[in-house]
Amino acid sequence: MKLKVWGARGSVPSPGPEMNRYGGNTSCVEVTLASGDQLILDAGTGIRTLGLDLTVSPHVNILLTHLHLDHIQGLMFFPPCFRADADLTIWGPASPEASLEDRVARYISAPLSPVEVRELPCSVSFRDTPPSEWQLGSATIRCEAINHRGPTLGFRITEGDTTVCYIPDHEPALGTSLVETEPEWISGYDLARDADLLIHDCQYLDDEYPLHAGWGHSGMSDTLTFASRVGARRLLLFHHDPLHADGFLDNLHAAARRRWAEFGGDPAVVEMAMESAELEIGPVTTPAGLATTA
Amino acid sequence: MAAQKPLELILARNLLTSISTPAFLVDQTAALVFYNEAAGALLGRSFEDAGRMTPEEWTSTYGPFDAEGKPVELDELPTTRAVRDGRPAHAVFTIRSANGGTREIESSAFPIVASEEGSSGAMIFFWPQGANRTEDA
Repeated sequence: MKLKVWGARGSVPSPGPEMNRYGGNTSCVEVTLASGDQLILDAGTGIRTLGLDLTVSPHVNILLTHLHLDHIQGLMFFPPCFRADADLTIWGPASPEASLEDRVARYISAPLSPVEVRELPCSVSFRDTPPSEWQLGSATIRCEAINHRGPTLGFRITEGDTTVCYIPDHEPALGTSLVETEPEWISGYDLARDADLLIHDCQYLDDEYPLHAGWGHSGMSDTLTFASRVGARRLLLFHHDPLHADGFLDNLHAAARRRWAEFGGDPAVVEMAMESAELEIGPVTTPAGLATTA
Repeated sequence: MAAQKPLELILARNLLTSISTPAFLVDQTAALVFYNEAAGALLGRSFEDAGRMTPEEWTSTYGPFDAEGKPVELDELPTTRAVRDGRPAHAVFTIRSANGGTREIESSAFPIVASEEGSSGAMIFFWPQGANRTEDA
């Protein structure tokens, strides 16, 4: 399984020279399965440049964790939307309030957009994510509601022996201690358990988090503790705060690695999501360093 | 390991942990899966000591009893009505604490509904009425 990060920023696009290395585009990750099938995780502004890369007649599955703007803003600028030979299936969380299509159409409609969903030349269908596992190409997909503001999903993608878990917006420590809480009471635990790669929200440094408690995002130590509790083999810190420039994120990365080492883990498994970065993911047979230490 | 709880129960537990109103949390089978410290003080035993209980276990341990001292039928409890019918329910009854004392309480149960498949549990809040009626009975 291969991954490419097309956008790792949270909340709002953050262009600027001081953001160049980590990138300013919002959440979008491309997964290429060993079978050659492609999945796109979220449709933040990063999906625009991803779409420019898709030159063959695309059948694309886009999995939306939720419908906050930083996860759908790129959809209207995704080049395959404007190709008659493209076939898109957009998966997202169900809501009792309105269909997925109607909720996405609030953005792709006047006055926010010059086009309507029904005017897109591509073939597009909107599907509520099913409550049980389902198959997309050679991958088995599972999703669960996780702790964020509004209906929000995390995804677990398994192909053969390899599992990637994607939880870009998550605040599992809200109102609880991740160190002491039993696994059954931790949001996202089953979804992320023993993942070969966990892509997880790490929007704040620990001293920034108290001012943002309840906003649906995680501080660094909570992210590391969550990764430790679930036994993640590799951790990709994601959803960077729009105020965090490259130098700040370098320092956050160094601090996260030091903290992981304090927990007893190998600091090399803690990585930062960086726009355009490509990762090869395979099953990791060595036990997660921290599964029982934090 | 126990199965992962649905998010709405996790959030409900986090809420109950943070408030000083005595409260229970039950799952979709009406099993008691958590109560907070305030409820522990009322019952004379913490949840950490008591652990998960089926409806039969917690009613035989804590009651409740009606005004005449008879056990309230499980089907008539606000908890059961909230989980079964997906409707809030309220009652006044007497409970027995771990030390044998009894206390009259008001209880309101609210179903937790997150999907069209029905409630995934309920939160039950308690309001003690006056002082303990008996101590160490």
